[in-house]
Amino acid sequence: MKKPRFDLWSVFWAVAALLYFFVPLYGTFDFSLRMKKGEISLQAYQLVFSDPQFLRSFQYSTIMGIISVTISILIFVPTVYWLYLKLPKARPFVEIVTILPFVIPVIVYVYGINTAFGGAPLRLTSNTFTTDILMVGGYVVLSMPYMFRAIDVGMRTIDVRTLTEAAQSMGAGWAQILFNVIFPNLRIAILSGSLICFATVIGELILGDFLLRPALGPYMAAVGRDKAFEPAALAIISYALTWASLGLIQAISHGGTSQQQLTGR
Amino acid sequence: MTQTIAQSAAVPAKRGVLESLTKSNWIGLVPFFAFIFFFLVLPSTNLLMRSFQDFDGNFTLANYAVMKNPYVIKAYSISLRVSVITSLVGGVFGFFVAYAITLGNTPRWMRNFLMTFSGLAANFGGVPLAFSYIATLGRTGFMTAVLKSICYTNAAGVQVCPFNPYDNGFNLYSIGGLVLAYTYFQFPLMVLTITPALEGLKKDWREASANLGASPFQYWRDVALPILWPSILGATLLLFGSAFGAYATAYALTGGSIYLITILISQQIRGDVLNNPYEGYALAVGMVIIMGITILAYTILQRQTARWLKS
Amino acid sequence: MSYLELTNIHKSYGNAVAVEDFNLSVTQGEFVSFLGPSGCGKTTTLRMIAGFEVPTSGHITINGNDLTHLPPNKRNVGMVFQSYALFPNMTVSENIGYGLKVVGKPKNEIAKRVEEMLALIHLQELGKRYPNQLSGGQQQRVALARALAFQPQVLLLDEPLSALDAKIRVELRHEIRRIQQQLGITTIYVTHDQEEALSLSDRIVVMSQGRMEQVGTPGEIYNFPTTEFVAKFVGQINLLPVEVQNPAEGVVKIGSQLIRAGQYGHLNGKPVRLAVRPEELNPGFIEGSNNLNGIVETITYLGAIVRIRVEVEGHPISLDVFNERRMKMPVAGDLFQVNFPVDACWLL
Repeated sequence: MKKPRFDLWSVFWAVAALLYFFVPLYGTFDFSLRMKKGEISLQAYQLVFSDPQFLRSFQYSTIMGIISVTISILIFVPTVYWLYLKLPKARPFVEIVTILPFVIPVIVYVYGINTAFGGAPLRLTSNTFTTDILMVGGYVVLSMPYMFRAIDVGMRTIDVRTLTEAAQSMGAGWAQILFNVIFPNLRIAILSGSLICFATVIGELILGDFLLRPALGPYMAAVGRDKAFEPAALAIISYALTWASLGLIQAISHGGTSQQQLTGR
Repeated sequence: MTQTIAQSAAVPAKRGVLESLTKSNWIGLVPFFAFIFFFLVLPSTNLLMRSFQDFDGNFTLANYAVMKNPYVIKAYSISLRVSVITSLVGGVFGFFVAYAITLGNTPRWMRNFLMTFSGLAANFGGVPLAFSYIATLGRTGFMTAVLKSICYTNAAGVQVCPFNPYDNGFNLYSIGGLVLAYTYFQFPLMVLTITPALEGLKKDWREASANLGASPFQYWRDVALPILWPSILGATLLLFGSAFGAYATAYALTGGSIYLITILISQQIRGDVLNNPYEGYALAVGMVIIMGITILAYTILQRQTARWLKS
Repeated sequence: MSYLELTNIHKSYGNAVAVEDFNLSVTQGEFVSFLGPSGCGKTTTLRMIAGFEVPTSGHITINGNDLTHLPPNKRNVGMVFQSYALFPNMTVSENIGYGLKVVGKPKNEIAKRVEEMLALIHLQELGKRYPNQLSGGQQQRVALARALAFQPQVLLLDEPLSALDAKIRVELRHEIRRIQQQLGITTIYVTHDQEEALSLSDRIVVMSQGRMEQVGTPGEIYNFPTTEFVAKFVGQINLLPVEVQNPAEGVVKIGSQLIRAGQYGHLNGKPVRLAVRPEELNPGFIEGSNNLNGIVETITYLGAIVRIRVEVEGHPISLDVFNERRMKMPVAGDLFQVNFPVDACWLL
């Protein structure tokens, strides 16, 4: 009377999903190694890594990523902390605001940035420094749903009020409470939020493309327009980068909460 | 996402917000709202206001006449079509995969692996995804080569390769190809959003329905699907939104040859193809309106189909 | 005549035995409880009757029909779950009528039956509500009505009251018994609550570690437990280690004090314990009864009852007395005498 070990219907769909994941991956990998006719080589990768423009855009995106992550943390950790401590009733409202980037398509948003700040009287896009400020603002907005979620989930698991009162009773000020008590207790949530934020910045095309900054996304798009094998190598590199950071979250948070954060629910 | 949208429709605790804001402990939220004002409210309202202005800054509705432009209509309709198709294809596929890894009897490693991978793939899109598909299913791609090489010699002595996709009308740089590529992130997104709902199906419900004489089919039709329906709707909305706003994948895959609304807007930003920037603003606001209508429709639909959710 | 018959039921998961040597025949209209601690196999046995588990060996028949391997949806037995398991997407009426709907009964017939069932559970005005608009007690009544609406051969209840408040639990207990007797339906009731089992059942099956410990009427189970497990699990009991003094007459010794047991088997030198329920003990000395001397340890007020713990020859013994205003309670450290009739105690 033993049940069959696995049911075929489910296994079929699981296998189909695995194939859907892996065939393009393998295809890309295979393709990226075939730059030299008739042999397997890493030439495409060598070309990519020796392209000064790649290094420049990679560097630029990495720096932008780090700045965006920092600013994002500095905005959202105190905000969520305050919401839990003082204004729990405002939390649903703030939550709705933070998911707005899901409702407004990125291209529309970037269009808005461009028209609001690019034209007279501000003309912020006319020099690189102010443009970069807009870039960072944009990145923070685009990754806001994930960052807010991650910190929100993390904050829920710690008893904010008790921690704060305990710290206050020992004479800590607000800055000390935030940096010595709240931040350390949220490190996993902050780390997972940061990694998604960073991955978003690295992969973002539209902001860099329309604000004309040398980010990785536009660089890749440009390579895709006039090369054949390098794009495949770039895709593999970018998979590796994104997945290393996202995989890290999965490892850190044991899969459970991060999945919710990833979809920004 | 599902829940938050439902909340946004109801906007609960609104009075609570105002009440507590008057208590002067709103100071802690100033940095957040300042940031939101500059980087979200200002750009959006700016776009919105300009879409109602003429060159001299006077109020007008004329910009919205751009919606009658056949190119615009075409772009919107292609975008809607792609979004609906990919959210349905990705939704159905993702649903079955989620079923397989939650309720279905699949090997444990497969479940863990698919769950983790869905988390990764759902966040993957844009340019690299397009490159992957070109490398795999493009004219010289890996899979194309594999399929091409399946040949035999027929009775007349002619070599036939029946599986060459490009002989069978397939073209990666078409809407079909786009659907294929979008599905790569759409179905994992479905897996992630619907899995908690599937896990929330109580075993007792299935047993109770069997106990009352229902077949598995009757259980799914009368109990499981109606209970899952709000989550399915919400997840599909999320899929629709992610496809509707997608730009990078389509741009990198087809170089702009498929006239999605996002591509049209990008061309407008780059070079004012409409010859009227104000019409461009109306075009962009149109996208937000469509998202708004979709969310509204979702809310109404959910209220009607899930009356039992309210207590 | 036996109606529901379980013969040589054995169930194991791999090496873990869940139920073994289970034999029971239930007559039509009988109310039988399976009583035992969690993990004793009572729910597994119930689920085998419902068809959610298949016995590793053995047979289940209802009215002579073997349904051991029948799928659950072909068995025509009604079940009430601990979690109610009402379908949240259906109204109360739809829930109750669902068992009739799936077999394609005409709408008006379903509606009529639903009305009857609503009247039976006194919830006529709630038919259009959804389950999450009802209290726990109301939900469980609806679940009961749903399980009865399609006129099952047997009604199964799996700890139906354990998710409810104490007060509603008692109320619903009477309700279940009333409905069961009104319909005369054969019922199996799984519980870990001895009070429920005692107050509801015609017969009780006490289970422990997958085995039947004792089967009997509530009176038999409470007053004549055959094993130490049953004696301890059902009600309160004093168990005193004693030495056998006179095996032929059931005379035993605790310290230097002699006791005569009313019921005893073969006393063949094994360690023996004297069993007596706290309510059988009385304060004071009575000639011809069993009498013990001890020292009061604690006095605990339980409301109507006061439990006095007395230390007798180094062993604690509890007695329950009614809490009467005029009675003067002893205090800890007092010398205390207790007596109990010979036929109130037995040896285990």
